[in-house]
Amino acid sequence: MYVLPYPDLFIWWVVCISWSIVFLTLVSFFLYADSKTRRGTKGVIRWMRDFVFVWVLIGLLALYVVSVNIGSAELFAQGNIVVELILVVYLVSNRMKTPEEPSITREDGKFGPTSE
Amino acid sequence: MQILARQFGNPIFVVLIACAIVAGFLSYPDLKQPIIILSMIALSVVLGYYNEYKAERIVEELRENVSFKAVVIRDGEPSELNATLVVPGDMVSVYVGDIVPADMRTVECKELLTDESALTGESFPVEKTVEILSLQYPTPQQLKNYLFTGTVVTHGSGRGVVISTGQHTEFGSISRSLVRPHPETEFQRGVKSFGKMILTLAGALAIGIFAVNAIIGRNTLIDSLLFSLAVAIGLVPELMPAIVTISLSQGASRLSKVRVIVKRLVSIEDFGNMDVLCTDKTGTLTDGRIALKDYYSLDKSKDARLMSYSLLCNAAVAGEGQRVTGNAMDAAIWEYALDNDEREDVKLYTKVDEIPFDYGRRMMSTVVSRDGKSIFITKGAPESVLPRCKYAERSGKRIPFASSKNSIDTEVFSLSEQGYRVLAVAYREVERKSSYSSDDERDLTLLGFLVFTDPPKTGAHQALNKLKEMGVNVKILTGDNELVARKICDEIRVPIKRVLVGSDLTQMSPSELGAAVEETTVFARITPEQKLDIIKALKDNKHVVGFMGDGVNDAPALYEADVGISVDTAVDVSKEAADIVLLEKDLDVLANGIDEGRKIFGNSMKYILMGTSSNFGNMFSAAAASVFLPFLPMTAMQILFMNILYDVSNMTLPTDNVDEEYRKWPNKWDMGFVRKFTLFFGPFSSLYDFLTFGIMLFIFAAPESLFQSGWFVESFWTEVLVIFVIRTRRIPFVTSRPGKWVAIMAISCVTFGTIMPFTLLGGILGFTALPVQYWTLLILMVATYLLLVDAGKVFFMKICKL
Repeated sequence: MYVLPYPDLFIWWVVCISWSIVFLTLVSFFLYADSKTRRGTKGVIRWMRDFVFVWVLIGLLALYVVSVNIGSAELFAQGNIVVELILVVYLVSNRMKTPEEPSITREDGKFGPTSE
Repeated sequence: MQILARQFGNPIFVVLIACAIVAGFLSYPDLKQPIIILSMIALSVVLGYYNEYKAERIVEELRENVSFKAVVIRDGEPSELNATLVVPGDMVSVYVGDIVPADMRTVECKELLTDESALTGESFPVEKTVEILSLQYPTPQQLKNYLFTGTVVTHGSGRGVVISTGQHTEFGSISRSLVRPHPETEFQRGVKSFGKMILTLAGALAIGIFAVNAIIGRNTLIDSLLFSLAVAIGLVPELMPAIVTISLSQGASRLSKVRVIVKRLVSIEDFGNMDVLCTDKTGTLTDGRIALKDYYSLDKSKDARLMSYSLLCNAAVAGEGQRVTGNAMDAAIWEYALDNDEREDVKLYTKVDEIPFDYGRRMMSTVVSRDGKSIFITKGAPESVLPRCKYAERSGKRIPFASSKNSIDTEVFSLSEQGYRVLAVAYREVERKSSYSSDDERDLTLLGFLVFTDPPKTGAHQALNKLKEMGVNVKILTGDNELVARKICDEIRVPIKRVLVGSDLTQMSPSELGAAVEETTVFARITPEQKLDIIKALKDNKHVVGFMGDGVNDAPALYEADVGISVDTAVDVSKEAADIVLLEKDLDVLANGIDEGRKIFGNSMKYILMGTSSNFGNMFSAAAASVFLPFLPMTAMQILFMNILYDVSNMTLPTDNVDEEYRKWPNKWDMGFVRKFTLFFGPFSSLYDFLTFGIMLFIFAAPESLFQSGWFVESFWTEVLVIFVIRTRRIPFVTSRPGKWVAIMAISCVTFGTIMPFTLLGGILGFTALPVQYWTLLILMVATYLLLVDAGKVFFMKICKL
């Protein structure tokens, strides 16, 4: 039976790591909602697909909490490799869809070709 | 020395020095902590000093390329010299637009007015005289027969004998700045608001952490204080000024190779982000080689008197073997006369007086005498001269002007419509008197017209197209009339949306002007004040505005614009007002400058975005961990060390490659974007910090030193390596390669950070060797982190539609 070192700190740690993921998810929803307000909604499936990385985050939270709780470096390592593969597939498929890549700090509609 | 003093003026260092002293007292005789803190400060100061010194040297060298000339008369011969070569005893001529090169006693004044505001604070131009003044202890304001270094000739012309130069002048002795401060650039405003945000957060965080730690009482007060300060300092991108300065100075150096001299470094970023360029027409869209094509009287004949009067009423300097200088149109008349040998009659006249040209009147006048008769000659824009004519001369006969008005107006309209610039010449006989004024410009007899050409520049169309493709909207601000401006636009195929003339603008309210400037392509017949109003209106509409000009009347607009661009051949006051001086008046070189500006802005933004996101994440997790951990997650010294090592890794960021698509359009400092970016990417870093805490505590059962070592390495790896993801929107390394030095520096710093816990220095800082298994987990964890940030980046760009 694995004995968790610093057992009294575990709950604190779970709160902190969960909070960082919850915070990130909330920020993502806020930014998404903000952008949707401007451009109109596009359906639930699109919404689910847009949030792939958030679902990965939630999966990662579960992986990290479980593997740390049972002190399994192996589970932690294997889980990471699986997540990395998922992310690589996600990134490659996403990059294939966006041939033209505009500037990173350009706000929509602020700049563009002059109308002249 | 000033640069060194500036480094110590950094409030962060002041706080750190105070902390080192307090720590020294409290932990005496163990001085390890204060020594390490002081070493960090010394290293930061050296880094900052070295970079700023290098940048200043580059700027000084560049400024030497922009020369200020003075017309010096030695042994009766006028010659144009570099203003720095003027010595006491020289006779110097000054004209409108000149910056007075030395303190001089006037010997000749022609309606000479100077702007002495930089010297005395006097906001109105001061009229100069040659009179002897009896003053016992005169102040500069009272010395009307003196011209002072650094003051600007705003009207008329004159000569003076140089009394003193350089530091011995009035200006030198009071050591005031030659120019008034420029308005803040868009980038400076952005950095300022960013700084405020960071300082507020850092301050709040420091106070909060210190208070909580002090209440919990797990650590000593000095440890809690140092830790809270170190966390706050970790948030501050203290090397940002150095990084930005290095980027700017290196960019300025590269721009000098394409003959663009940057006088004010900070303007480069706005140069890149400029989305509206207001430019004059002459020399930018046209060749700028104004030539007199023809001259004729009202019966279409070549009247020799017309040529003589044009040469007599002329501000250009010319004579036997002398150069032709002065304004372009007057010089063109002289060149025509010299080429066609049509100046003999001029010798028969004696010049009596002159009323110089000004932009309000748009004309100049001269009084000459011949055979005992005094003739008052006026030459200028037809709209200015014709209303002052009472008669017109046709075939040697004087007829009432009103009877020919229609045909004269038609003639002027027709010439303008063909793209010619036209000047009218008129005269009247006057009684001899001691001096004349602009009130005498009345009851004139129109003699004829001078017709000038200034052909459009080859390649102007392509250059404008290139600017358009780069997202820069070009607007033409010209003193010429609407027809000439339209014709040139036509020839260089610039689509005109709307043309406004000066008189239209005077009737507009600020809000109407705000709307009008958006849709207007050509502003014709406008005054210097209107140029300023147009620039202000565009800036109020949130545009980053560039203004390109070379005349005296352009100086206020050059000051006001976010980026003032002038040329080396411009009048002194314009060159002084400009941020950027082109050694060639060419729109093509502008495109290079804009591209360079965008690269620099891009690299500065990378540092800011990277620093705020990863530093925020790290420091927030440190703050949270200090609350629940039985020890500090990292000591103050370790945080400071990581901070400085991180800054070193960023030193080569200015040399990074910037993706083409980033440089395609103007970018803009957007505080809202920086906030969103920080809020979104900061938690990624926190998440992996907490994960490391979990691994160290619950898998490795790490004691304090091992815990701190593990977090230091993870935190440093993620902080440094994330640059490869954040620096581009593309696939890192695959479709966007980082700059060679960025990659080398990042890898070197990561390597150094990795071996740190195993070294003597690591031991001094309180680190310990990490177990092998940790490194395997770390590699996997950091790989997941980088992929996750990249996925987050895809999501972020999609929803922010970047």
